[in-house]
Amino acid sequence: MSSVIWYLYEFARKGWVENFAGAATDREIVESPDRFRDFPEVIRELCIACGACTAACPSPAAIKLVRTNDKDAENGEGITYPVINTDACIRCGFCAEVCPTDPKTLRTGESHLIREEFTILPAEKMFVIDDYLCIRCKKCMKACKVEDAIIEEDNKVMIDQSKCIACGECAKTCPVKGAIKGIYISNVEGQKDVINLVIHTLEDLIEAKQDELKDLPPEQIMKFEVPFADILEEAKGMLPEEEQIRDMVEKVTDRLKLRIITWNDSKCNNCRLCVDDCPSGAITYDEEKGVQRDANKCLRCTTCYQTCPFGVAGSYVARFLLTSTELQEDKIMVTVKPALLPFRG
Amino acid sequence: MIVPIGPIHPALKEPLRLKLQTRGEKVIGAEIDYGYVHRGIERVMEGKTWQKAVYLSERVCGICSYIHTQTFTETFEKIAGEEAPLRAQFLRVIANELDRIQSHLLANSTYFNTIEHETLFMYMLSLREPVMDAIELLTGNRVHMAWNVVGGVRLDAKEVHLKSIMNILDNLESQYARYPQMFEHGPLLGLRSKDVGYMSKEDSIKARAVGPIARASSITEDLRTEKPVYKDHLDFNVIWRGEGDNFARNMNRFDEVTESIKIIKQAIENLPEGKVRKKVNIPAGYADNRNEAPRGEVAYMIETNGNLIKNISIRTPSIMNIDACARYMFKDVATVADAVATYASVDPCIACTERVTIIDEESGKVHEVNGLHNVKSINLK
Repeated sequence: MSSVIWYLYEFARKGWVENFAGAATDREIVESPDRFRDFPEVIRELCIACGACTAACPSPAAIKLVRTNDKDAENGEGITYPVINTDACIRCGFCAEVCPTDPKTLRTGESHLIREEFTILPAEKMFVIDDYLCIRCKKCMKACKVEDAIIEEDNKVMIDQSKCIACGECAKTCPVKGAIKGIYISNVEGQKDVINLVIHTLEDLIEAKQDELKDLPPEQIMKFEVPFADILEEAKGMLPEEEQIRDMVEKVTDRLKLRIITWNDSKCNNCRLCVDDCPSGAITYDEEKGVQRDANKCLRCTTCYQTCPFGVAGSYVARFLLTSTELQEDKIMVTVKPALLPFRG
Repeated sequence: MIVPIGPIHPALKEPLRLKLQTRGEKVIGAEIDYGYVHRGIERVMEGKTWQKAVYLSERVCGICSYIHTQTFTETFEKIAGEEAPLRAQFLRVIANELDRIQSHLLANSTYFNTIEHETLFMYMLSLREPVMDAIELLTGNRVHMAWNVVGGVRLDAKEVHLKSIMNILDNLESQYARYPQMFEHGPLLGLRSKDVGYMSKEDSIKARAVGPIARASSITEDLRTEKPVYKDHLDFNVIWRGEGDNFARNMNRFDEVTESIKIIKQAIENLPEGKVRKKVNIPAGYADNRNEAPRGEVAYMIETNGNLIKNISIRTPSIMNIDACARYMFKDVATVADAVATYASVDPCIACTERVTIIDEESGKVHEVNGLHNVKSINLK
């Protein structure tokens, strides 16, 4: 009983209350020495969300970019700024060193005074997830350096473009080839030209081999190679950088599936069924010339192939692959095989 | 009879199992088990840029962390065929020697702890504290300094800082002289140290001992004499002794501290003006590089593709010293207590010793990479 009284008396003392109310943390008591490198100090307003600090940080999960939810009256959106996880930070000060803003967003010790170019990433690319190929493994969500930049909605994994800093970390971790694509933002017209160039060149090359295709038995496939250097030479006028061209061609050939229509005039009996069925008017009938097909107007819809009872039109599918080996020059491998569509004739 | 010590034991700083073979109280042999703190730092470094790996190299060793970053960055400079600016090289010398002083003082303090002379143990630690402050003044941090980068150092030392480092060293020098004397002439300390854990010169060559441990057994090798900046600009002696016992190893470390103070003072006085950092473009290539760490010779072998590290191998000095201790020093030690003191006298650092073990899956062959290996000779898939 006496001890309880003692405690009550002790806690009621004036000095105890004063000490309790005015207690200082360790940080306030200990004087930090000259040139001491503490955890980085963040000034939110200066951040431009370039992602250089997250790219330079050697410690995993020490720094993350965060976007505020509160709406700004002027910009209509919140601000992005780095947040330091003091449990993981090793206080190397590299983030302060690479920060490109002036004055710096991140400050620590004397390190922030240095101006050296290191791994500042230019946002050349925009990253998107191909929903068709995505296997929902969510590895990209773990690898992402920005909070809530990759989100899951209705069983779909998506990148929030307003938050993405285009660091490319997700594309590196993605286990499926082509599921996360880095699309170049600049030179969109040039990129379209390159795509068209690749498709037209390949299509022309295959259609030039019509005679070989006509005799192809349905079980067999035809294979040949196209050197990449030929396409590169032509594409150099459209896009400035070779690396970008290569990236484009790789992406195009990866998913490209070309339909090829062959036309065997000798089998035609002029029944004119195809002329009525063709949706684009590419097949015409003339009393002197007979039934004729205009390849430029053709949509490759294969309606004629499915309609013709005599087997005049043939349908084939071509797939492509850009190979890169150190020994040989880069090549585009082409595989053509007969289409597996129902055929009446 | 076998007396096991460790892996967790109050006398050992880090986990390691010592199996002492005893006859009566006399220790006649020892076996050592490693593998309690293996971290696979080299494997983590593979496929990373040097900016991200230099911090890992710092964490190889907790006491002599500085020399690891220096060797790592110098290896990259060697691959690029360039050298850091002379001022940066001088600053690296200053930091390296300060690190050596604190490491040697800590090593001696643990030795005095194991022979239960707590007064000297406390003295050593209190001497070490101002040196740590000097390191912090120069680099910005006490232990993991994050100061070296490829092409130089990150912070330039100002006149004020150099002056206060000089003050710290002057104070240290004036106080310091009495402690080696206490150890040299103290009768009880002599009884516990002299003629205990003897290793002859031949044995130390056979065991490939390095650093102060080898130099206490009449080997006069010091890698610093081969480094250009030490050779051309600084004047110092290689400390070595002939006794080869615990006393010699500790005295050797004591004397090296004085020598290090001399080197730092010379370096501060002759510090050239100029930049401390330059940009280095790293090509693809391979290089190996050695340096004198406080415990001996540390070697880095790095293969890079110009951006990422393809292959890296680190060899730290403690592995040879601990082997030398187990094989030759424990031949004839009077008591188990002396055996623990002998073990502490070789300044073992277990965390940096635990290196790669490669196991061939097909044949089940275990391939230990402890010595100096050419990384290219190991065929990793």
